[in-house]
Amino acid sequence: MKAFTSVSPRSLPDAVTALSRARQQGQHAIIVGGGSDALALIKERLIAPDLVVRLTGIRQLDGIARDSNGLTIGGETTLAAMARHDELRRAYGVLAQAAESVATPQIRNAGTLAGNLAQRPWCWYYRNGFTCFKNGGNTCYSAAGENQFNAIFGGGPSFIVHPSDTAPALVALDATFRIVGPKGERTVPAAQFFTLPTVNPARENALEDDEVLTSIHVPAAKAGMRSLYHKVMDREAWTHAIVSAAAVLRMDGNVCRDARIVLGGVAPIPWRLTEVEKLLVGQTMNDALIDRAAAASTTGARPLRNNAYKVPLVQAVVGRALTDLRA
Amino acid sequence: MSPQRASSAGVQPLTTVGHPTPRIDAVERVTGKARYTNDVQLPGMLFARVLRSPHPHARITSIDVSNAHALPGVKAIVTHENGQVVWGSGSVAGGQQYSDEIKKITTHRRYTFNNPVRFVGEPVAAVAATDRHTAEEALHLIRVTYEVLPFVLEPEAALAADAPKIWPEGNLAVNNRNEPQPQVQRRGNVEEGFKASDHVFDARYSTAFVHNAQMEPRSAVAQWDGDRLTIYTPTGGIANCRTDMARDLGIPQEKVRVVCQYMGGNFGNKNQNQDADLIAAVLAKAAGAPVKLELSRKEDYIGMHGRWPTVQHYKIGVSNDGTLKAIQLRGFSGMGPYRKNSGAIAGTELYQCPNVESIVTPVFTNKTVSGNYRGPEFPQGFFGIQSMMDDVAAALKMDPTAFILKNMTRKFRDDTPYTNYSLEECLLRGMEMVRWKERWRPAGTDNGRLRRGLGVSFMAFRSGVGRSNAVARVNAKGDYTIHVGVTDVGAGAKTTMGVIAAEALRVPLSKVQVVWGDTETCPYSVGESGSRTTIMTGYAVIEAAKALMVQIAEQGLPAGDRVLTASSNPNPTVQGAVRNAFGAHFCEVEVEADTGRVRVTRYVTVHDCGRIINPLTASSQIVGGATQGIGMALHEDLVYDRRSGVPLTPGYYGARVMTHQDAVAIENVFIETDDGYGPYGAKSMGESSKVPAPAAVSNAVFNAIGVRVKDLPITRDKVLAALGGRA
Repeated sequence: MKAFTSVSPRSLPDAVTALSRARQQGQHAIIVGGGSDALALIKERLIAPDLVVRLTGIRQLDGIARDSNGLTIGGETTLAAMARHDELRRAYGVLAQAAESVATPQIRNAGTLAGNLAQRPWCWYYRNGFTCFKNGGNTCYSAAGENQFNAIFGGGPSFIVHPSDTAPALVALDATFRIVGPKGERTVPAAQFFTLPTVNPARENALEDDEVLTSIHVPAAKAGMRSLYHKVMDREAWTHAIVSAAAVLRMDGNVCRDARIVLGGVAPIPWRLTEVEKLLVGQTMNDALIDRAAAASTTGARPLRNNAYKVPLVQAVVGRALTDLRA
Repeated sequence: MSPQRASSAGVQPLTTVGHPTPRIDAVERVTGKARYTNDVQLPGMLFARVLRSPHPHARITSIDVSNAHALPGVKAIVTHENGQVVWGSGSVAGGQQYSDEIKKITTHRRYTFNNPVRFVGEPVAAVAATDRHTAEEALHLIRVTYEVLPFVLEPEAALAADAPKIWPEGNLAVNNRNEPQPQVQRRGNVEEGFKASDHVFDARYSTAFVHNAQMEPRSAVAQWDGDRLTIYTPTGGIANCRTDMARDLGIPQEKVRVVCQYMGGNFGNKNQNQDADLIAAVLAKAAGAPVKLELSRKEDYIGMHGRWPTVQHYKIGVSNDGTLKAIQLRGFSGMGPYRKNSGAIAGTELYQCPNVESIVTPVFTNKTVSGNYRGPEFPQGFFGIQSMMDDVAAALKMDPTAFILKNMTRKFRDDTPYTNYSLEECLLRGMEMVRWKERWRPAGTDNGRLRRGLGVSFMAFRSGVGRSNAVARVNAKGDYTIHVGVTDVGAGAKTTMGVIAAEALRVPLSKVQVVWGDTETCPYSVGESGSRTTIMTGYAVIEAAKALMVQIAEQGLPAGDRVLTASSNPNPTVQGAVRNAFGAHFCEVEVEADTGRVRVTRYVTVHDCGRIINPLTASSQIVGGATQGIGMALHEDLVYDRRSGVPLTPGYYGARVMTHQDAVAIENVFIETDDGYGPYGAKSMGESSKVPAPAAVSNAVFNAIGVRVKDLPITRDKVLAALGGRA
């Protein structure tokens, strides 16, 4: 790896200043949380920063706080802390389960929520240094290459899949992302944080280079809300979702009052199944409805040469998530 | 997972052998005191990194190292222009130990740095610098211009008339006599056999490149003292590594010392030297300082070797009652561009059959190099032929155990008896354990979301005796020292040698010290490969101990500082019989029909490895081998981009190597035997547990879903495609 300077500011303004100053001096500066993804990228020379600004020393970015509107989770909260947080586990099962499904205990102990959301794709071509959209090029090698793990929805011109487990959970929970940069603060709904390759094929989200994802707010759980995260992997640990489903339902007896179903592992962004949600709302949850929902979950899927198996897999995962939530 | 033992008649209990014995170096290993190769630090030592080819096939037209040389801290740079050394054992050996004779005749020379480069990951240059980062930075300052050449990745495609030629003579891999000939085995006449058959079946199976994936990252430390070279390297064979290094560098053997005291796994093709050892030596010479060369996990995956991928076409003739009439195999093995090992495909020898024809063609490709990995030619071949036979049994509506019991080998290649024969006992015992008769149902019986399957496979595996050496010493206090040229690759050989010595000397293990892993202090050993260490070096230990006891009987213990020394160099043979280890594996799986997930729910192994010297390390061998076999069946693959020839999944993450979460509880029973050969009847063990495992898993999945996934690994996409195809 190329040598770099690492700084650990104690406050957010210090971090933003360090970033801006470095950039003004023409340096390549990046921000990292636990650094588990950044270090891998640096080692593979996919990025070669001069300055690494570590955010884990900033106390106010770490921790989960409750208020009348819900929970605020600091961007530097570790995935491990989220997975063992009582209220998250109880009221926002989808998010706790998603955090717990990431990688390995080591990585969850170091990896942060913001880092998990902003991690770079794990497409083989990107990680092996092909000059693709993500590496400064203007093509996607997976489109006509080995694409067994690539997108079946929303692909083009890049066919990566968004690798984060917490991302679909947060979109399903209708979370809001707080972002701080040199120009101040802004908040973005989770669904708008993640951006399609048609917006910019080089990036996966709306963060500017000198912005920090400081916290995530999830609204208060409503009565009757049930949720879960179902992740399909090709081994039992330490890998990304082939397909995952974050499902949040608000039930009134057997009747579904509200539904959010968001897929991971199938599109360049967390992929919300709006049509499936519509099909569920106001209906009694029974086998026939679940079958219809599962069948509808892949409407519009456009598999590539090697990933058609994701179509039945999505249907199975959606069906199972709904069946488990009904129980 | 405690080992069960089912002693057979004829195995007399012994005093030290056969009792569970913790490794004598367990404390050093778990407390961090054990010095592995990468722990070696020498004064003034430099660090080295290797620049590797980004192209699968290219001619290097120029290399400019001037900018790299100018980087402060860079001490030496070697390329094909100034550091080319023949790496003999990296090629052409074709399964033989490299030798002077092979060196003389070979036309396919592999060098430390080759031009043209023939696979992505082939070394192009190496840099030694004062620290790791400087060495790595220097690599990026080297300017290489390539003339990119056409490449070919798959063995069958490489044999096409218009395929790019990787060597001027073509892509059919030559053997160690430079002959481009397939490996042919014949008995009887298969065409007659097919004519005499009631049914003839044919099918194609394939296996993937699976990397050895040993835990220890590769490294090599080279130090010159005048014209004497010391090399610290993770090798399974210090003696062979030494002769290889001397031959390649053109210096006398006595000038080379090889040290390997602890290893984090071997798993094949380490009973020799590696290019990393030679590059470290050449850099150390050029820099005038010791050099440590380190490989990343990715470099290990793409730059070294793994199990050769195969394509296997079978044609099987059988009578109505399921008796085999003819077996024909046309096999192709992808070797990468160098013949690092044989490329054979085993398996036809597992069956009694009057007409057998096996033609296996090792083929050069522009993928990474194939070599030995735990049972080099066996897991692939056993998967192919035992999947095929399982399919034949299903087509005949036969219980696969009935088919196996009817057709399995009873004599080696139907003519030579085995020294003992326990294959049937292994199968029957395993059937009892899994309650086969009650629980087995024909393939595809389950139709629900969860589909259960039960599969069986079996093995017979070479367990030959042969030459090795040992030295035994005793001092005035009655402390014994055993010198053996083993390195303890992780299997516990050091402990095994101590246990055998204690038994032979009739003293407690605590009175025996084992000296190992250093050519300076140890005699020749065959090296830890081919499941031979216990049998061959263990036998030499008994012989040395016996000779020492004769001296003690004659002279008594030595006085003062004197030491009695006895050495042995036995070269036993088996006359008129073939010595094999036997075993059977039983696998139960649960397949989720909607998600394609395969879960191994029970795994039972029964093995005859002769007498068990140490039940603790013996069980570890079985568990480890079966686990690797399950990984090969269900997970691992080095996927290549077909358009660029670049490997896409190097490493534990990409290749989907199993994690602890994936590991299955392996139940394990030993049927102990003593055929009178080997140390107290011990037979080969290290590879036994691996070789039948992929076949057992394949057969279990077939039994569960009623469709055969013919290409390993059996991943979710293939299972879903198989199920979709049937619906």
